Amino acid sequence: MSCSMAGEEDCFLEEKRFKQYCEEFIKLSQQIGDGWEWRTSKDLGDGYLSKTHFQVRNRSIPPDLKEENNDNVEQSLFTHVEEALDDSQVAGVYETEVIRYEYHVLYSSSYQVPVLYFRACFLDGRPLTLDEIWKSVHACYQARLLEGPWDTITQQAPLLVLVNTTGIYSAVFSVQA
Amino acid sequence: MTDDKDVLRDVWFGRIPTCFTLYQDEITEREAEPYYLLLPRISYLTLVTDKVKKHFQKVMRQEEVNEIWFEYEGTPLKWHYPIGLLFDLHASNTALPWSITVHFKNFPEKDLLHCHSKDVIEAHFMACIKEADALKHKSQVINEMQKKDHKQLWMGLQNDKFDQFWAINRKLMEYPPEDSGFRYIPFRIYQATTERPFIQKLFRPISSGGELHTLGDLLKDVCPSAIAPEDGEQKTQVMIHGIEPMLETPIQWLSEHMSYPDNFLHISIIPRPTD
Repeated sequence: MSCSMAGEEDCFLEEKRFKQYCEEFIKLSQQIGDGWEWRTSKDLGDGYLSKTHFQVRNRSIPPDLKEENNDNVEQSLFTHVEEALDDSQVAGVYETEVIRYEYHVLYSSSYQVPVLYFRACFLDGRPLTLDEIWKSVHACYQARLLEGPWDTITQQAPLLVLVNTTGIYSAVFSVQA
Repeated sequence: MTDDKDVLRDVWFGRIPTCFTLYQDEITEREAEPYYLLLPRISYLTLVTDKVKKHFQKVMRQEEVNEIWFEYEGTPLKWHYPIGLLFDLHASNTALPWSITVHFKNFPEKDLLHCHSKDVIEAHFMACIKEADALKHKSQVINEMQKKDHKQLWMGLQNDKFDQFWAINRKLMEYPPEDSGFRYIPFRIYQATTERPFIQKLFRPISSGGELHTLGDLLKDVCPSAIAPEDGEQKTQVMIHGIEPMLETPIQWLSEHMSYPDNFLHISIIPRPTD
Protein backbone atom coordinates (compact mmCIF):
# COMPACT_ATOMS: atom_id res chain seq x y z
CA MET A 1 0.00 0.00 0.00
CA SER A 2 1.62 3.25 -1.02
CA CYS A 3 1.28 6.51 0.76
CA SER A 4 2.29 9.94 -0.40
CA MET A 5 4.79 11.44 2.02
CA ALA A 6 3.85 14.96 0.99
CA GLY A 7 0.57 14.30 2.76
CA GLU A 8 -1.50 15.23 -0.24
CA GLU A 9 -3.09 11.80 -0.40
CA ASP A 10 -4.89 10.46 2.60
CA CYS A 11 -3.46 7.25 3.93
CA PHE A 12 -6.44 4.99 4.44
CA LEU A 13 -7.05 1.30 4.13
CA GLU A 14 -10.50 0.05 3.47
CA GLU A 15 -11.71 -2.67 5.82
CA LYS A 16 -12.21 -5.39 3.18
CA ARG A 17 -8.68 -4.80 1.93
CA PHE A 18 -7.43 -4.97 5.51
CA LYS A 19 -8.95 -8.44 5.82
CA GLN A 20 -7.48 -9.54 2.52
CA TYR A 21 -4.02 -8.32 3.51
CA CYS A 22 -4.38 -10.09 6.84
CA GLU A 23 -5.09 -13.37 5.07
CA GLU A 24 -1.94 -12.98 3.00
CA PHE A 25 -0.03 -11.91 6.09
CA ILE A 26 -1.11 -15.04 7.97
CA LYS A 27 -0.06 -17.28 5.07
CA LEU A 28 3.38 -15.65 5.04
CA SER A 29 3.64 -15.94 8.78
CA GLN A 30 2.82 -19.65 8.66
CA GLN A 31 5.47 -20.19 5.99
CA ILE A 32 8.19 -18.69 8.14
CA GLY A 33 6.82 -19.92 11.48
CA ASP A 34 6.33 -16.42 12.82
CA GLY A 35 3.32 -17.23 15.00
CA TRP A 36 0.65 -14.78 13.82
CA GLU A 37 -2.90 -16.10 13.78
CA TRP A 38 -6.31 -14.80 12.83
CA ARG A 39 -8.89 -14.70 15.57
CA THR A 40 -12.54 -13.82 15.38
CA SER A 41 -14.53 -12.13 18.09
CA LYS A 42 -17.72 -14.01 18.87
CA ASP A 43 -19.60 -10.79 19.36
CA LEU A 44 -18.95 -9.31 15.97
CA GLY A 45 -18.11 -10.81 12.63
CA ASP A 46 -14.82 -8.95 12.80
CA GLY A 47 -11.50 -10.56 13.37
CA TYR A 48 -8.00 -9.47 14.14
CA LEU A 49 -4.41 -10.61 13.93
CA SER A 50 -2.90 -12.02 17.10
CA LYS A 51 0.53 -13.10 18.24
CA THR A 52 2.08 -14.01 21.56
CA HIS A 53 5.79 -13.59 22.10
CA PHE A 54 8.03 -14.32 25.05
CA GLN A 55 11.04 -12.14 25.60
CA VAL A 56 13.87 -13.25 27.80
CA ARG A 57 15.85 -10.41 29.27
CA ASN A 58 18.97 -10.43 31.32
CA ARG A 59 18.88 -7.71 33.86
CA SER A 60 21.86 -6.91 35.97
CA ILE A 61 21.30 -6.22 39.62
CA PRO A 62 23.73 -3.99 41.46
CA PRO A 63 25.51 -6.05 44.15
CA ASP A 64 24.04 -4.15 47.08
CA LEU A 65 20.52 -5.14 46.02
CA LYS A 66 21.37 -8.81 45.82
CA GLU A 67 20.68 -9.31 49.50
CA GLU A 68 17.21 -7.82 49.24
CA ASN A 69 16.34 -9.87 46.19
CA ASN A 70 17.16 -13.09 47.95
CA ASP A 71 13.98 -12.71 49.94
CA ASN A 72 11.94 -11.95 46.90
CA VAL A 73 12.32 -14.71 44.38
CA GLU A 74 8.91 -14.68 42.73
CA GLN A 75 10.21 -13.66 39.32
CA SER A 76 13.85 -14.11 39.11
CA LEU A 77 16.08 -17.00 38.33
CA PHE A 78 19.67 -16.31 39.20
CA THR A 79 21.78 -17.42 36.32
CA HIS A 80 25.41 -16.51 36.86
CA VAL A 81 27.77 -14.06 38.40
CA GLU A 82 30.35 -12.41 36.17
CA GLU A 83 33.75 -11.26 37.21
CA ALA A 84 34.51 -7.65 36.38
CA LEU A 85 36.90 -7.27 33.51
CA ASP A 86 38.35 -4.04 34.71
CA ASP A 87 38.57 -2.23 37.98
CA SER A 88 35.99 0.37 37.07
CA GLN A 89 33.23 -2.24 36.89
CA VAL A 90 31.82 -3.82 39.97
CA ALA A 91 31.08 -7.54 39.88
CA GLY A 92 27.42 -7.89 39.01
CA VAL A 93 24.69 -10.43 39.37
CA TYR A 94 22.35 -11.10 36.47
CA GLU A 95 18.82 -12.35 36.65
CA THR A 96 16.65 -13.57 33.83
CA GLU A 97 13.19 -12.20 33.51
CA VAL A 98 10.58 -13.40 31.08
CA ILE A 99 8.05 -11.02 29.65
CA ARG A 100 5.00 -12.12 27.74
CA TYR A 101 3.91 -9.81 24.93
CA GLU A 102 0.56 -10.25 23.30
CA TYR A 103 0.00 -8.31 20.07
CA HIS A 104 -3.27 -7.64 18.33
CA VAL A 105 -3.77 -5.85 15.05
CA LEU A 106 -7.30 -4.54 14.74
CA TYR A 107 -8.98 -2.44 12.13
CA SER A 108 -10.06 0.96 13.39
CA SER A 109 -13.15 2.13 11.59
CA SER A 110 -12.68 5.58 13.13
CA TYR A 111 -9.25 6.10 11.61
CA GLN A 112 -9.68 3.65 8.75
CA VAL A 113 -6.28 2.16 9.41
CA PRO A 114 -5.01 -0.90 11.25
CA VAL A 115 -4.03 -0.28 14.85
CA LEU A 116 -1.51 -2.28 16.86
CA TYR A 117 -2.38 -3.05 20.44
CA PHE A 118 -0.15 -4.91 22.81
CA ARG A 119 -0.12 -6.13 26.36
CA ALA A 120 3.04 -6.93 28.27
CA CYS A 121 3.22 -8.80 31.53
CA PHE A 122 5.56 -10.91 33.62
CA LEU A 123 4.98 -14.62 33.96
CA ASP A 124 3.05 -14.20 37.19
CA GLY A 125 0.52 -12.03 35.33
CA ARG A 126 1.73 -8.72 36.70
CA PRO A 127 1.53 -6.18 33.88
CA LEU A 128 4.52 -4.01 33.02
CA THR A 129 4.15 -0.41 34.05
CA LEU A 130 4.12 2.24 31.36
CA ASP A 131 7.59 3.29 32.45
CA GLU A 132 8.89 -0.23 32.01
CA ILE A 133 7.33 -0.39 28.56
CA TRP A 134 8.76 2.95 27.51
CA LYS A 135 12.19 1.83 28.69
CA SER A 136 11.98 -1.37 26.67
CA VAL A 137 11.36 0.42 23.37
CA HIS A 138 14.19 -0.13 20.88
CA ALA A 139 16.99 2.40 21.02
CA CYS A 140 16.27 3.75 17.56
CA TYR A 141 12.82 4.92 18.66
CA GLN A 142 13.84 6.33 22.02
CA ALA A 143 14.41 9.85 20.69
CA ARG A 144 10.94 10.08 19.26
CA LEU A 145 9.50 8.50 22.37
CA LEU A 146 11.15 11.04 24.64
CA GLU A 147 9.78 13.88 22.53
CA GLY A 148 6.21 12.74 22.85
CA PRO A 149 5.75 9.61 24.91
CA TRP A 150 2.01 9.94 25.00
CA ASP A 151 1.73 10.31 21.24
CA THR A 152 3.79 7.26 20.54
CA ILE A 153 2.60 4.68 22.98
CA THR A 154 -0.59 5.32 24.88
CA GLN A 155 -2.64 3.52 27.40
CA GLN A 156 -5.95 2.32 26.10
CA ALA A 157 -8.82 0.12 26.90
CA PRO A 158 -9.74 -2.26 24.12
CA LEU A 159 -12.17 -1.39 21.38
CA LEU A 160 -13.65 -4.84 21.18
CA VAL A 161 -14.68 -7.45 23.66
CA LEU A 162 -11.55 -9.08 24.85
CA VAL A 163 -9.94 -11.99 23.32
CA ASN A 164 -9.31 -13.57 26.66
CA THR A 165 -10.28 -12.72 30.17
CA THR A 166 -7.27 -10.85 31.33
CA GLY A 167 -8.50 -7.44 30.35
CA ILE A 168 -6.88 -4.29 29.40
CA TYR A 169 -4.23 -3.58 26.84
CA SER A 170 -1.15 -1.89 28.26
CA ALA A 171 -0.62 0.27 25.28
CA VAL A 172 -1.54 1.20 21.78
CA PHE A 173 0.84 2.13 19.06
CA SER A 174 -1.05 3.93 16.38
CA VAL A 175 -0.04 3.43 12.77
CA GLN A 176 -1.05 7.03 12.13
CA ALA A 177 1.97 9.27 11.77
CA MET B 1 -32.48 29.25 18.68
CA THR B 2 -31.27 30.82 21.91
CA ASP B 3 -32.20 27.62 23.73
CA ASP B 4 -29.43 25.68 22.02
CA LYS B 5 -26.64 27.59 23.74
CA ASP B 6 -28.38 27.01 27.06
CA VAL B 7 -28.16 23.28 26.43
CA LEU B 8 -24.38 23.55 26.12
CA ARG B 9 -24.21 25.26 29.50
CA ASP B 10 -26.62 22.83 31.14
CA VAL B 11 -24.51 19.92 29.95
CA TRP B 12 -21.25 21.55 31.09
CA PHE B 13 -22.48 22.51 34.57
CA GLY B 14 -24.31 19.27 35.41
CA ARG B 15 -23.34 17.97 38.84
CA ILE B 16 -23.89 14.75 40.82
CA PRO B 17 -23.94 14.93 44.62
CA THR B 18 -21.65 12.17 45.81
CA CYS B 19 -20.70 10.66 49.15
CA PHE B 20 -17.25 9.06 49.32
CA THR B 21 -16.69 6.43 52.02
CA LEU B 22 -13.42 4.69 52.77
CA TYR B 23 -13.47 0.93 52.29
CA GLN B 24 -13.81 -0.74 55.68
CA ASP B 25 -10.73 -2.95 55.27
CA GLU B 26 -8.38 -0.02 54.71
CA ILE B 27 -6.16 0.45 57.72
CA THR B 28 -6.65 3.78 59.46
CA GLU B 29 -5.25 5.44 62.55
CA ARG B 30 -8.62 6.91 63.44
CA GLU B 31 -12.13 6.75 62.04
CA ALA B 32 -12.58 8.09 58.53
CA GLU B 33 -15.52 10.43 58.04
CA PRO B 34 -17.31 10.25 54.68
CA TYR B 35 -16.54 13.05 52.27
CA TYR B 36 -19.21 14.84 50.24
CA LEU B 37 -18.56 16.39 46.84
CA LEU B 38 -20.51 17.64 43.82
CA LEU B 39 -18.96 15.83 40.87
CA PRO B 40 -19.00 17.42 37.40
CA ARG B 41 -20.75 15.06 34.99
CA ILE B 42 -18.44 16.01 32.16
CA SER B 43 -15.16 15.34 33.95
CA TYR B 44 -13.19 12.28 35.08
CA LEU B 45 -12.96 10.82 38.58
CA THR B 46 -9.19 11.08 38.94
CA LEU B 47 -9.23 14.68 37.74
CA VAL B 48 -11.63 16.00 40.38
CA THR B 49 -10.96 13.92 43.50
CA ASP B 50 -7.69 15.34 44.86
CA LYS B 51 -9.62 16.63 47.89
CA VAL B 52 -11.11 13.18 48.46
CA LYS B 53 -7.66 11.62 48.43
CA LYS B 54 -6.26 14.22 50.84
CA HIS B 55 -9.21 13.78 53.19
CA PHE B 56 -8.68 10.03 53.60
CA GLN B 57 -4.90 10.19 53.58
CA LYS B 58 -5.12 12.29 56.73
CA VAL B 59 -6.33 9.28 58.70
CA MET B 60 -4.01 6.74 57.14
CA ARG B 61 -0.35 5.98 57.51
CA GLN B 62 1.81 6.93 54.53
CA GLU B 63 2.80 3.33 53.84
CA GLU B 64 -0.84 2.23 53.55
CA VAL B 65 -1.56 4.71 50.76
CA ASN B 66 -1.22 3.45 47.21
CA GLU B 67 -2.97 4.48 44.01
CA ILE B 68 -6.56 5.51 44.74
CA TRP B 69 -9.42 3.71 43.01
CA PHE B 70 -13.18 3.89 43.27
CA GLU B 71 -15.91 1.33 43.38
CA TYR B 72 -19.71 1.36 43.36
CA GLU B 73 -21.56 -1.68 44.77
CA GLY B 74 -18.66 -3.96 44.00
CA THR B 75 -17.98 -2.62 40.51
CA PRO B 76 -14.63 -0.84 40.04
CA LEU B 77 -15.33 2.50 38.38
CA LYS B 78 -13.34 3.14 35.22
CA TRP B 79 -11.84 6.58 35.67
CA HIS B 80 -11.40 6.91 31.91
CA TYR B 81 -15.18 7.01 31.48
CA PRO B 82 -16.75 10.43 32.11
CA ILE B 83 -18.40 10.69 35.54
CA GLY B 84 -21.87 11.34 34.11
CA LEU B 85 -21.64 8.17 32.04
CA LEU B 86 -20.62 6.10 35.08
CA PHE B 87 -23.54 7.47 37.07
CA ASP B 88 -26.13 7.01 34.29
CA LEU B 89 -24.93 3.48 33.64
CA HIS B 90 -24.66 2.23 37.22
CA ALA B 91 -26.72 4.40 39.55
CA SER B 92 -29.13 6.65 37.74
CA ASN B 93 -32.29 5.24 39.29
CA THR B 94 -31.00 5.11 42.83
CA ALA B 95 -31.35 7.65 45.60
CA LEU B 96 -28.91 10.53 45.85
CA PRO B 97 -26.23 11.11 47.00
CA TRP B 98 -24.29 8.63 44.88
CA SER B 99 -22.33 6.43 47.32
CA ILE B 100 -18.84 5.64 46.10
CA THR B 101 -16.34 3.53 48.03
CA VAL B 102 -12.70 4.62 48.09
CA HIS B 103 -9.83 2.11 47.99
CA PHE B 104 -6.06 2.42 48.34
CA LYS B 105 -5.16 -1.27 48.23
CA ASN B 106 -5.55 -4.23 45.86
CA PHE B 107 -5.76 -2.21 42.68
CA PRO B 108 -7.89 -4.29 40.25
CA GLU B 109 -5.40 -4.64 37.39
CA LYS B 110 -7.86 -6.51 35.24
CA ASP B 111 -10.58 -3.88 35.40
CA LEU B 112 -8.92 -0.50 35.62
CA LEU B 113 -6.24 1.48 33.88
CA HIS B 114 -3.63 3.08 36.10
CA CYS B 115 -3.69 6.81 36.51
CA HIS B 116 -0.43 7.94 38.07
CA SER B 117 -0.68 11.57 36.98
CA LYS B 118 -2.85 14.15 35.28
CA ASP B 119 -0.83 13.57 32.09
CA VAL B 120 -2.51 10.19 31.78
CA ILE B 121 -5.96 11.79 31.85
CA GLU B 122 -4.91 14.47 29.39
CA ALA B 123 -3.53 11.87 26.98
CA HIS B 124 -6.73 9.85 27.15
CA PHE B 125 -8.93 12.94 26.75
CA MET B 126 -6.99 14.20 23.74
CA ALA B 127 -6.99 10.75 22.15
CA CYS B 128 -10.80 10.71 22.34
CA ILE B 129 -11.06 14.18 20.84
CA LYS B 130 -8.76 13.16 18.01
CA GLU B 131 -10.73 10.04 17.30
CA ALA B 132 -13.99 12.03 17.31
CA ASP B 133 -12.53 14.45 14.78
CA ALA B 134 -11.30 11.58 12.63
CA LEU B 135 -14.95 10.53 12.42
CA LYS B 136 -16.41 14.02 11.96
CA HIS B 137 -13.86 15.69 9.72
CA LYS B 138 -11.24 13.09 8.72
CA SER B 139 -9.06 14.76 11.39
CA GLN B 140 -8.78 17.95 9.30
CA VAL B 141 -10.00 20.36 11.97
CA ILE B 142 -7.99 18.93 14.85
CA ASN B 143 -4.83 18.68 12.74
CA GLU B 144 -5.10 22.29 11.59
CA MET B 145 -5.19 23.49 15.19
CA GLN B 146 -2.01 24.50 16.95
CA LYS B 147 -0.71 22.68 19.99
CA LYS B 148 -1.81 25.59 22.17
CA ASP B 149 -5.40 25.11 21.00
CA HIS B 150 -5.25 21.46 22.02
CA LYS B 151 -3.87 22.55 25.35
CA GLN B 152 -6.69 25.04 25.75
CA LEU B 153 -9.29 22.28 25.38
CA TRP B 154 -7.61 20.34 28.17
CA MET B 155 -7.13 23.38 30.41
CA GLY B 156 -10.76 24.40 29.91
CA LEU B 157 -11.88 20.98 31.11
CA GLN B 158 -9.39 20.79 33.95
CA ASN B 159 -10.25 24.26 35.28
CA ASP B 160 -13.98 24.05 34.58
CA LYS B 161 -13.88 27.04 32.22
CA PHE B 162 -16.81 26.79 29.79
CA ASP B 163 -15.84 29.81 27.66
CA GLN B 164 -12.19 28.84 27.42
CA PHE B 165 -13.16 25.33 26.31
CA TRP B 166 -15.84 26.31 23.82
CA ALA B 167 -13.71 29.03 22.19
CA ILE B 168 -11.82 26.12 20.61
CA ASN B 169 -14.41 23.36 20.72
CA ARG B 170 -16.84 25.32 18.55
CA LYS B 171 -14.49 24.73 15.61
CA LEU B 172 -14.83 20.98 16.16
CA MET B 173 -18.61 21.41 15.92
CA GLU B 174 -18.60 23.13 12.55
CA TYR B 175 -19.00 21.55 9.13
CA PRO B 176 -18.65 22.78 5.54
CA PRO B 177 -21.70 24.76 4.33
CA GLU B 178 -22.25 22.36 1.46
CA ASP B 179 -22.72 19.46 3.92
CA SER B 180 -25.62 19.17 6.32
CA GLY B 181 -23.58 17.69 9.11
CA PHE B 182 -20.52 15.70 10.14
CA ARG B 183 -19.11 12.84 8.11
CA TYR B 184 -19.82 10.28 10.83
CA ILE B 185 -21.20 10.77 14.35
CA PRO B 186 -18.83 9.99 17.24
CA PHE B 187 -20.88 7.92 19.68
CA ARG B 188 -20.54 4.99 22.05
CA ILE B 189 -23.43 2.97 23.46
CA TYR B 190 -23.00 1.28 26.83
CA GLN B 191 -25.05 -1.41 28.51
CA ALA B 192 -24.13 -2.58 32.00
CA THR B 193 -25.60 -5.98 31.26
CA THR B 194 -23.34 -6.98 28.40
CA GLU B 195 -19.71 -8.17 28.37
CA ARG B 196 -18.79 -5.83 25.61
CA PRO B 197 -17.38 -2.49 26.78
CA PHE B 198 -19.41 -0.48 24.25
CA ILE B 199 -20.80 -0.37 20.74
CA GLN B 200 -19.20 2.03 18.31
CA LYS B 201 -19.85 1.95 14.58
CA LEU B 202 -19.73 4.23 11.57
CA PHE B 203 -23.02 6.11 11.31
CA ARG B 204 -23.86 9.01 9.03
CA PRO B 205 -26.04 11.85 10.34
CA ILE B 206 -27.73 12.37 6.97
CA SER B 207 -29.42 9.74 4.85
CA SER B 208 -28.61 9.35 1.18
CA GLY B 209 -31.91 11.12 0.52
CA GLY B 210 -30.74 14.14 2.50
CA GLU B 211 -32.88 13.53 5.60
CA LEU B 212 -31.59 13.96 9.12
CA HIS B 213 -31.11 10.65 10.92
CA THR B 214 -32.58 10.54 14.40
CA LEU B 215 -31.51 8.97 17.68
CA GLY B 216 -34.10 6.28 16.98
CA ASP B 217 -32.51 5.58 13.59
CA LEU B 218 -29.12 5.18 15.24
CA LEU B 219 -30.43 2.75 17.83
CA LYS B 220 -32.36 0.71 15.25
CA ASP B 221 -29.17 0.39 13.26
CA VAL B 222 -26.62 -0.48 15.94
CA CYS B 223 -28.58 -1.60 19.00
CA PRO B 224 -32.07 -2.70 17.99
CA SER B 225 -32.74 -4.40 21.35
CA ALA B 226 -32.84 -0.95 22.94
CA ILE B 227 -35.96 0.00 21.03
CA ALA B 228 -39.22 -1.56 22.05
CA PRO B 229 -41.12 -3.58 19.49
CA GLU B 230 -44.18 -1.75 18.12
CA ASP B 231 -46.59 -3.55 20.37
CA GLY B 232 -44.35 -4.18 23.30
CA GLU B 233 -43.39 -2.31 26.44
CA GLN B 234 -40.31 -0.16 26.50
CA LYS B 235 -38.13 -2.17 28.86
CA THR B 236 -35.10 0.08 28.65
CA GLN B 237 -34.17 3.71 29.03
CA VAL B 238 -31.87 5.48 26.59
CA MET B 239 -30.00 8.01 28.67
CA ILE B 240 -27.58 10.83 27.91
CA HIS B 241 -26.49 13.25 30.65
CA GLY B 242 -29.19 11.94 32.94
CA ILE B 243 -32.09 12.57 30.57
CA GLU B 244 -33.95 10.54 27.97
CA PRO B 245 -33.90 12.53 24.73
CA MET B 246 -36.81 11.94 22.39
CA LEU B 247 -35.99 9.28 19.83
CA GLU B 248 -37.03 11.73 17.09
CA THR B 249 -34.15 14.07 17.95
CA PRO B 250 -31.78 14.50 15.00
CA ILE B 251 -28.50 12.79 15.84
CA GLN B 252 -26.55 15.67 14.27
CA TRP B 253 -28.13 18.06 16.81
CA LEU B 254 -27.37 15.66 19.65
CA SER B 255 -23.77 15.40 18.54
CA GLU B 256 -23.35 19.18 18.46
CA HIS B 257 -25.11 19.90 21.74
CA MET B 258 -24.94 16.87 23.99
CA SER B 259 -21.55 15.42 23.38
CA TYR B 260 -19.16 15.27 26.29
CA PRO B 261 -16.05 17.50 26.12
CA ASP B 262 -14.27 14.58 24.43
CA ASN B 263 -16.71 15.16 21.54
CA PHE B 264 -18.33 11.77 21.90
CA LEU B 265 -22.01 11.07 22.62
CA HIS B 266 -21.84 8.54 25.47
CA ILE B 267 -25.22 6.83 25.54
CA SER B 268 -26.37 4.47 28.30
CA ILE B 269 -29.00 1.78 27.82
CA ILE B 270 -30.32 0.83 31.22
CA PRO B 271 -33.25 -1.20 32.50
CA ARG B 272 -36.36 0.90 32.98
CA PRO B 273 -37.35 0.93 36.66
CA THR B 274 -40.53 -1.06 37.21
CA ASP B 275 -42.25 1.11 39.80
